[in-house]
Amino acid sequence: MKKQTIHILRISLFLLLGVSLSFADQKATEIVRKSNNLLRGKSSFSEATLTVIKPSWKRSITMKIWALEPDYALILITKPARDKGTVTLKRKREVWNWIPTIRRLIKIPPSMMMQPWMGSDFTNDDLVRESSIVEDYTHTIIGRETIGDYTCYKIRFDPKPEAGVVWGKIITWISQKNYLMLKAEYYDEDGQLIKTMTGSKIKTMGGRLLPTRWEVLPHNKPGHKTILQYKSIRFNIKLTPDFFSQQNMKRVR
Amino acid sequence: MYLNLSWRNIWRNKKRTLIALASVFFAVITAVTTRSMQLGSYAYMIRSTAHFYNGYLQIQHPGYWENRSLDNTFNQDSIAYTALLDVNHVESCAPRLESFALISFGTTTRVGEVVGIVPHMEDQATNLASRLVQGSYLTADDRAVLISQGLARMLKVAPGDSLVIYGQAYQGQIAAGLYPVKGIIKYPIRELNNMMLYLPLKAAQDLFLTGNRLTSIAIMIDDNRHLDGVKRTLRTILPAHYALLDWKAMLPELHQDIQFDNVSGMIMLAILYVVIAFGIFGTIIMMINERVKEFGILIAVGMKKIRLLLVTFWEILFISFLGALAGMAGATPVVWYFHLHPIRMTGEAAHTFEMLGIEPIFSFSTDPYIFLNQALIVFLIAFATFIYPIIFIRRLDPSRAIRS
Repeated sequence: MKKQTIHILRISLFLLLGVSLSFADQKATEIVRKSNNLLRGKSSFSEATLTVIKPSWKRSITMKIWALEPDYALILITKPARDKGTVTLKRKREVWNWIPTIRRLIKIPPSMMMQPWMGSDFTNDDLVRESSIVEDYTHTIIGRETIGDYTCYKIRFDPKPEAGVVWGKIITWISQKNYLMLKAEYYDEDGQLIKTMTGSKIKTMGGRLLPTRWEVLPHNKPGHKTILQYKSIRFNIKLTPDFFSQQNMKRVR
Repeated sequence: MYLNLSWRNIWRNKKRTLIALASVFFAVITAVTTRSMQLGSYAYMIRSTAHFYNGYLQIQHPGYWENRSLDNTFNQDSIAYTALLDVNHVESCAPRLESFALISFGTTTRVGEVVGIVPHMEDQATNLASRLVQGSYLTADDRAVLISQGLARMLKVAPGDSLVIYGQAYQGQIAAGLYPVKGIIKYPIRELNNMMLYLPLKAAQDLFLTGNRLTSIAIMIDDNRHLDGVKRTLRTILPAHYALLDWKAMLPELHQDIQFDNVSGMIMLAILYVVIAFGIFGTIIMMINERVKEFGILIAVGMKKIRLLLVTFWEILFISFLGALAGMAGATPVVWYFHLHPIRMTGEAAHTFEMLGIEPIFSFSTDPYIFLNQALIVFLIAFATFIYPIIFIRRLDPSRAIRS
């Protein structure tokens, strides 16, 4: 099972922030792996809308996302009109931006990696982070709870000592049927709840049953929220690394 | 009658009086000069720092200091610059729109602080044009940038090249623009020299899509001693919820350094007062002892001790007062001279100042309060020595005094 697959969407990858293998609780790890694989494919193409809500304003960006596991992703903004054609390219650990209005290509320097991407609650670093929720954590089932129509396993993720992850622990709710991750709570090293992510609007998309709407609520910033709503997803499409080139950033539609 | 008598007493022995006067006179000059140098140096340090960038005061959106985001900006039309400049003691003001952004040229990208400025106002406030080392200064309608030397070197740009500014604009939008470099400026502080990028306010507002919004207005005043007064006046003309930060809030380290130094300065001053007190005390003892016989005879012929005390009281009051007055007058040219010809620092301290781009001098303050305060303190010290004659005269035994 060491197959290097792609996260369906880069975006959902950094939302989910990695999953992993554990010896602590084989069953828990198996559940997490199945849940994670649901969101993966060797390659994928999706269309989604990212809505950023701040206390004084709200903004939506519509985008197309191509991804090729594990190193490549390309995000094209299609709305709003002012930013249309703006492209973010991830190649291995590098992030590049193409700005059509001034026809310039910019490499994001390491010092800017922690800055918000498109004003959202995601950082540039979230785009390229390598950590995996399967590989970098040990998993323990700590209970069963019901979310909506789904009975869920409540699973605690503890970071492995050698893993360079930012969270103290993560608690997730994964449905017993279909292994849907419906909720995740991210805690810092002091046990403080930092953000909650919830998946909803469960639909069949790209031939799989998935939550199609993800909501991130940072707890230390009242009035802030980020919502990612998928319009369509296709898995395992034909994509080669050539697609993720600087030349193609200028051409892609 | 007592007044008359004491006045005549004073001038009966001119030499004695002049010695006493001189001790108060020089005490006042020393105290005034010391304090004037201390406070003058602080004022100079504060002024240099304020004019470097921050200003004595800044008007900001209430949330900006905590969260330096373009979302925490205010409308420039809500404050009339002329109203600010009309406030007494305000010298200049500099409206700004500041934001961090990526600065890119060729394949190199750096983070820079982009500051939108009104070129002539910024020059008045911080002498920005004088920092120019290459190219020329901005005008209000330019669509070009001034870049700091270190940043220019890292990006390998020269005047005439066009660089990209890319970052986040107002309310999460994308800011992107291509601007020619018009000039290169040099900051003596490395952090600033590697970071600053100026463009005209209008261009910055278009780049960051903020409309006519500002992040701050820096305000320069003539002297730090008017800070609180200016603050009070500004409060009355600013919209109530706007933040008004002074340099103490913006530069807490400088404020602490000054407070700390001031305490050690006060201790030095306290020691000086003790020296002064003993100097004056010595003179008074001498004066009184010289007159033992005189006092003895006066009491023997029937003068009440209390009357004698009153006469002595007025004598000391006259001498202290005249000495303090003369001291203030005498200190004025000294302080004024050093105010116009400040003492140059040398060695390590001078080097530190120069690295910060500040001229290494001890500046003297001409604040009249320093004169009044120090003269008053010395006057009180001189006057406190009156305790000695009281004790002396009360214990005076005329029969023995006459024979001494």
